[in-house]
Amino acid sequence: MKIEFKQVLPVPLSSMEHPTDSVWNTNVILEQGKKVVIEARSGRGKSTFIHLLFGIRKDYTGNIFIQDKNLSEFTQKEWVTYRQNQVSIVFQDLQLFPFISVFENLKVKNDLTKHFSDDQLISMLSRVGLVDKLNQPCGQLSMGQQQRVAIIRALCQPFSWILMDEPFSHLDELNAEICMNLINEACEKHQAGWIMTSLGMDLKYDYDKLIHI
Amino acid sequence: MLPKIVLRNQSKTQLVIAFLGAFLGVLFLLISVHYLLKVNQFGEGSEMLGPNTLIIQKKVSATTTLQLSSTTFSAHEIKLIEKKSFIQEVQPVQSNNFGVEFATSDPMLPYFRSDVFIQSVDARFLDVKSKLWKWHDGDEFVPIILPRDFLVMLNTFMSSSGIPQVSDELAKDVNFSLLLSNDFSKKQFRAKIIGFTNEVSSILVPDSYMNYGKETFGKRADEQITQLMLSSKEKEFGLFEKFLEEQHYESKNSQLVTGRLKSVVSMLLLVIVFISFLTLIFSSFVLIQYIQLLISRNVYEIRTLLRLGYTPRKLYRVFVRYFVLLYLVICFGATAIFLIFKSQIDAILHSSGIYIELNISVFTWITLVISFVLFYLTSLLSAKKSVLKEF
Repeated sequence: MKIEFKQVLPVPLSSMEHPTDSVWNTNVILEQGKKVVIEARSGRGKSTFIHLLFGIRKDYTGNIFIQDKNLSEFTQKEWVTYRQNQVSIVFQDLQLFPFISVFENLKVKNDLTKHFSDDQLISMLSRVGLVDKLNQPCGQLSMGQQQRVAIIRALCQPFSWILMDEPFSHLDELNAEICMNLINEACEKHQAGWIMTSLGMDLKYDYDKLIHI
Repeated sequence: MLPKIVLRNQSKTQLVIAFLGAFLGVLFLLISVHYLLKVNQFGEGSEMLGPNTLIIQKKVSATTTLQLSSTTFSAHEIKLIEKKSFIQEVQPVQSNNFGVEFATSDPMLPYFRSDVFIQSVDARFLDVKSKLWKWHDGDEFVPIILPRDFLVMLNTFMSSSGIPQVSDELAKDVNFSLLLSNDFSKKQFRAKIIGFTNEVSSILVPDSYMNYGKETFGKRADEQITQLMLSSKEKEFGLFEKFLEEQHYESKNSQLVTGRLKSVVSMLLLVIVFISFLTLIFSSFVLIQYIQLLISRNVYEIRTLLRLGYTPRKLYRVFVRYFVLLYLVICFGATAIFLIFKSQIDAILHSSGIYIELNISVFTWITLVISFVLFYLTSLLSAKKSVLKEF
């Protein structure tokens, strides 16, 4: 699934100067299966890039095409299919439900897609070291632990792209490595790519394209 | 799982207030609609003439007796009455100007005969638009409506002859005869009672039969109209009654009293139905507001679920299902209380000698179903709009 940005400029960033190799106000094509890092310092629009692509924000000029279909022309039904089967996401603020358990947080997504069995979910939790937190409310976990839950939740669906907004910001190197492996395995399985925003600390992972904003 | 996520952050106090409001609204509506229908049905079936139908005549006074004023209605007076807003129908009552003899004609009953007066009434004044209320020359039977007093008199005769008395239903199965005559000829007809009336003292026959009698046996003289049959509009009985008083017209008191009472009670109940309806609308409005409040309190959860790929439909249906279930509980609860209340009220009315029908009209249930459907549609629209706003 090809992503194409054509002269896209978010309205809040329109007054800023953008370099010619920036993703803003230029034409950018991201081919399916590629691993892309969006790198910039704070306030340059990394999260905005993810949100535009996921349809959370619509305040931009220019056009975004997904497999030659303009995002602005997506119907409600197309957005639902897009979010269920084509593009997954790890939010910067995680967007978990703090009052339900870790396992229920995963089930909320997995019940919708029926992507994994309960055993597979437990096995993934085990890989990221959270199997003992299975029934604990998410709100009681540390930010790093919650980040791992959010990553597993994002994997509970088929996808062509997984969007990750600073997904390892609260993880130590070892846990980040484990999570990256999980993500790469899933991408390989689905022949999918990922787009990860970073402040610059995540450049150690293999990637195909680096975009500075 | 979804209800656990999106139905959090409830305001219990507001929910209880909205619940109680809607409960009382439904309860009041059921009670008022039920008794409004019962009051309007009160007395139906026992009287063939319509509930707002009266036969009026001018009061007989010293001046009329001395022929200083007339007891007949002129064409101008009839026109004036017709023009009144509260009058639905007017028809001069025709009386026989030939001899009429009424007799039993059935082996089940001993022979009884009496000279009687007959009057004609058009089918539009009958409470039951009976298909039997027509007559053509050559028909097997003449349909008649018998004054109830006449049946009482007949039963008195039966009783004194040692014969079991005749009920309303049995009287309708028995054959009677009418003998029309003048000085030169006579003709007998078989007659069947199709109903009874308390309002008229003469036997009522269809117009066509009266016309036949007049043409065949009647005296050729100008006909004087001394009685009019009127029907007033529903709920305007008070104006009708005032008009009769002003014009010095009179009618049988029983119909006036029943009409007046029914009119007053109906008006009161209509006001109560209106108030109940308003109560229900406002309380349902509070419930609908509560749906919106609940959605706004759980906006983070709704947004997140939409971002996880849930359809708006799946989410707003959680709210609609919850509130529809709540409304169902309200309806069942209110119905249970209504049935208890009804049995108490019916017992009180029964002990006071007021016999109203005990069954619950289908319209009462239809009102309940309509309120349920309206609530369902409003909650659906409200929840849908609020959830879609977050998409």
